[in-house]
Order: sequence, then structure tokens, then C-alpha cells
Amino acid sequence: MTTSPERQDQPFVFPSPRRKERRYPEPPLGPSEAGAPVRASSLWRDAWYRYIRNRGAVIAGAVFVLLVAYCLIWPLVSAYDPYEVDFSQASEGPSPGHPFGTDQFGRDLFTRTALGGRVSIGIGFAATLVILAIGVTYGSIAGFLGGVTDNVLMRFLDALYGLPYLPFAIIVLAIFGGGSFWTMVIALSIASWFTTARIVRGQVITLKENDYVRAAYAVGAKRSRILLRHLLPNTLGVLVIAVFLELPGVILGEAFLSFIGLGISPPDASWGSMAQDGYRAYRVSPHIIIVPSVAIATLILCANFIADGLRDALDPRTRET
Amino acid sequence: MLLEVRDLQTHFFTREGVVRAVDGISFSVERGKTLGIVGESGCGKSVTALSIMGLVPKPPARIVGGEVLFEGRDLTTLSERELSDVRGDEIAMVFQDPMTSLNPTLTIGTQLVETLRRHTDVSRQEARRRAIELLEEVQLPKPEQRLKDYPHRLSGGMRQRVMIALALSCNPSLLIADEPTTALDVTVQAQVLDLLDELRRGHDMAMIFITHDMGVIAEVADEVVVMYAGQVVEQASVKELFDRPEHPYTEALLGALPQLEDGTARQQRLTAIAGRPPDLVDPPDGCRFAARCPYAGEPDGCAEHMPALREIRSGHLVRSEHPASERAGRPAGVTS
Repeated sequence: MTTSPERQDQPFVFPSPRRKERRYPEPPLGPSEAGAPVRASSLWRDAWYRYIRNRGAVIAGAVFVLLVAYCLIWPLVSAYDPYEVDFSQASEGPSPGHPFGTDQFGRDLFTRTALGGRVSIGIGFAATLVILAIGVTYGSIAGFLGGVTDNVLMRFLDALYGLPYLPFAIIVLAIFGGGSFWTMVIALSIASWFTTARIVRGQVITLKENDYVRAAYAVGAKRSRILLRHLLPNTLGVLVIAVFLELPGVILGEAFLSFIGLGISPPDASWGSMAQDGYRAYRVSPHIIIVPSVAIATLILCANFIADGLRDALDPRTRET
Repeated sequence: MLLEVRDLQTHFFTREGVVRAVDGISFSVERGKTLGIVGESGCGKSVTALSIMGLVPKPPARIVGGEVLFEGRDLTTLSERELSDVRGDEIAMVFQDPMTSLNPTLTIGTQLVETLRRHTDVSRQEARRRAIELLEEVQLPKPEQRLKDYPHRLSGGMRQRVMIALALSCNPSLLIADEPTTALDVTVQAQVLDLLDELRRGHDMAMIFITHDMGVIAEVADEVVVMYAGQVVEQASVKELFDRPEHPYTEALLGALPQLEDGTARQQRLTAIAGRPPDLVDPPDGCRFAARCPYAGEPDGCAEHMPALREIRSGHLVRSEHPASERAGRPAGVTS
């Protein structure tokens, strides 16, 4: 709000003890009435502008979207049945008819890579969401309640941190009998939500010192409402980053488990199980292992670049360092 | 009496020791009146306000003694749940910095409607209607549109108006305003002050107005409490305090104000108070102002013994061995 011109040229008169009736000009009008229309600029809009200035992140985002679109759409329009075995065309190299060639069973790799991508990316996002759900709940409770509760929860988390992620996932798969989509999701998320919990706890602890939290208490808001309405929505920026930070690890984990034969099993495809198929014949037809490996690498690279771009966009301060 | 604070003590338990931020203060607020609390930074004004609301950060702070009687109920003994029913409904608070006191992720409307529905049993539509009325009452232009706005679209003055609307939403009988105008520029300050005063009269609220600005106190308060280093050093009606200040600290505060006489500024340098307030971890045994007081001398022994808060005239309390009216002919600035 600017000082109104009528009062600017008068000397400032210190208020006297006697109360006087004074009339002030109407309060200045809001931004939308001030003349030229002012576009609303919010945290998310600002973040978007910062994000699109980061060339690497924009390219990574575009590649990521294309990759996901390819995985979703191509199996629907492809001329080849990804499950149909045709030994007459086995292990062919890339050709106009089969851009990525075929595998040992004569299946079109371009179609199968899309199909495998669905499973890999699907498991990746599902497991990341489960990680977020557990991590946010655990971390926000610890951070919000503080004190003894926080101490107990965090020490327990320290103990869990000792759990090696992949062996633990293997044990879980052994117990639940691995192979299906959801057991993979559980196996991959059950031992990897610790970092997210810590991030959220840290955020909640910082946020709860905010003036608006105190102001909310001052109007009688209940604790549950403070947490759900005032604290968690403000952690959203960090959570968006966390999604893209967790995603590569989870996708890599899935690929590894499928590669060693504990995950998605034939004839269903994931990038990991396709790499396993290729591994058996890598001397004769290396393209069978190269195609899924490059797909995994591309996806992880994109996710990392996106996470980086998001972090710069949503928290501009880290850029300085 | 609407609110009676008796011998309130709020201490902060820190690594360096116990900080006696509020060290035995008492005052009362009458229904419909305004009590001003003045003092410099760190004298315990805000902690006093937060103690009344039960909002002191614990840990490290804790109310270690005294009572806060609101309509006869001792608020310090209430549970968190009972307190949250009182907050916003019967006692509301306006904070210093309107820029950070609104949640950036919720619209103005949401924040108002949720506060209204917290304390009153009204439908969403009804609450929305009330919210518009409130924004009109605090003279925010185009209230219907403001409801859909996020706080970042509003200026500081407008946000403070929203904060005031939030505080008023459930018709509290006591409003605590903790330096509500400090973060605003001078013209907006005057508008917000007038608005607060107008609303206080309209709603028949009592108000506790906390500030470090004697000029603002003169404008709004009926009764004034001067705080220094966690204690009350002087208390009087606003007229009495400004006409006949007794405590050397109050005098010094008034001496640090620019004055106007016959429309021109007095050609005099403003006097600052030398020194700093005492460390509240280990406050001196004697008068806490002694180290900075121009009148403190050995014969009084006020550096060794804490002077009592005594009634020097009807309704005028002072905690000093040498209030102005007892300093016969002794020139200011002379120390032994």
C-alpha cells in the first residue's frame, strides 16, 4: 500500500493525548483496480517461470513426457502383439519394420519396451506414492508433536535406517511370493520411506514456528486442523521434489529385482526382466539388453534433471550455493 | 472486571539459565476499556500477551506463577482444549506482522470461514455471508472478490485489516493487539489505529494494546501500564501518565518523543536513555532501572533493594524510590 498523496505534503503531527475524530481518505484500491491488470503471481506461477528458464530441466521434462506417452499409447496402436512368439524373426537387429529389433522369441522390442515401461514406470510411481504416504504421515506426526514422541519416532527411524534397502525388498518378495505389480510396490516402498519422513519432519518443524500457525492457534484452531490445513499444504513444494528424487531409486530397484528374476516374470515385461532376457544373449545380439538399459538410464536421468529443476524453481535460495 | 492478571510470572528455561521474561506483573482490564502496555523491546510485553492467550512456546517458556482471571476463570489452569475454545471466541489477538500472519496457501475466504465455523454453528453459506460483512466492517474494498484472493495479493495494510476481521469474527469480549501497527507505514498505521478504536467501541470490546510507541498509546489507551525488564514500573490513566509521569523511566520515554508546540517542532535534541536493560537471567536485586536512572543514589539504597510498586496518588502506581513528585529541587542528571 502506498502513502496517499493528500497526506504526504503535510508535516507529520504526533498524535496528541486528546482523541480527535479524523477522517482518512478511502483505503487505496486493490491491485486489480490500480489501472493495468496485474496478473496474479503465486508461488506456483513463479516456480513455473523459474523452471522453464532451466533448459536441462525443460528438455528432461519433455523427454519424460514423451517416454511416458510412448509407453501408454504405443502398445495400443502397434501392429505387433508383444506376446506373440515367432522364431522365424528371432534376435533380429534394428530394421525399418522393427526399429529396436526383436528378441530371442521374435517379439517386437519397440512394442515390448513400451509395455515394459508401463510396468516399470507404473511401479515406480505407485511405490513413490506409497513412500510419500508413509513418510508424510510418520514425519509430520513426529515433527508436529515434537518432544518425547518426536524423539522416540526418530530414534526408531534411525534403527530402521540400518536396514539395507534391496536385501529387505528381497526378503519381502520371498515372504509375499514376488512377481505381481503390488507385491513389487510393497517390496520397494517398505524400506525406502525413511528419507521422506525425515524431510517432512524437518519441514513441519520449521513451518510450525511460522506466524500464521501462531495466528491460527490464536483464533482457536485445533491441532489436527493446524497440521492438515496449515502445515501439510505448505510442504507440497518439497513433496513434489521428493517424488522425482525417490523415483529413480525405485525404478532402479525394480529393474534390479526383475533382472535377478525376483520381480516381474515372463511373459510379462518390465525393463528389468527384458534386460535379463538380453543378458543371456548379449554376445550374439547385444541390442536386446541395450534397449531396456538405455530406457532405464534415460528415465532416471530425466527424473534427476526434473528433480534438480524443481528444487531450483521451488526453493530459489539453494541456487546461490 | 473482565480480565485480571495477578502476579503473572512467565519464565524461559534456556541453556543460559532461567530468563524471567515476565516477573510478577499484575493489572486488570475493565469491560469496554483499552489498556495500553508500553515498554522497549524485550521488556516482556509480548510474552505477557501470549501468556494470557496460553500461547507461550512451551518449551522453553512456562507460566510458573500467578493467575490470569478472565471473567473469573483462571486461564492458566485450563487444558489446551478448553483454551482453544476461549481463543478466538472470547479473547482474540492481532499480531505484529500481517505479512506473515496469514497462511499463504489458503484464500482469505477460507481462513475467515473456517474460523467462523470453528466457534459458531453456522452453515458454509452463512459463514461466507458473515465473512463478507466482516471484511466490509474492516473497510476492505470489494469484499466478495477479496474472499477468493490469496494473501499475497494484498498489501500489508489490507492484510492487517483481514487479521482484524479474523480476530473480530466471533465477537470476542477482549482483543489483544500486539504492536498491530508497527510493521505498517505511518499513514496506514493511523488508519488501522482508528479502525481498531472504532471497532472496539462498536463491538463493546475491551482491548489490550501493546506498543513501544508512546504516541500511539496516547491515542488509544484509557489506562497505561509501563513495563521495564519484566516488571510493571508505572501504571496510571493515560491523562495522568502523560501529565504527571512519575517514574524516571516513563519520563525518559516521554523525553525521547518529538513534541510539537504551536505548530512548530521544539528546537531541542531528543534525549535517548543511556545504557541497556538488565540481563533477565540474573537480574539485579535492586531496582532494575537503577543502572540507567539519573536519580539513583546511594542514600536510597534502591540499587540494593527492589522498590515496591506503591500508589503515589489515587490510581497511580509507581515502582521507584524517586518519583518525580518526591524529587524536591533535585536537578535531573545529578548522580552521587
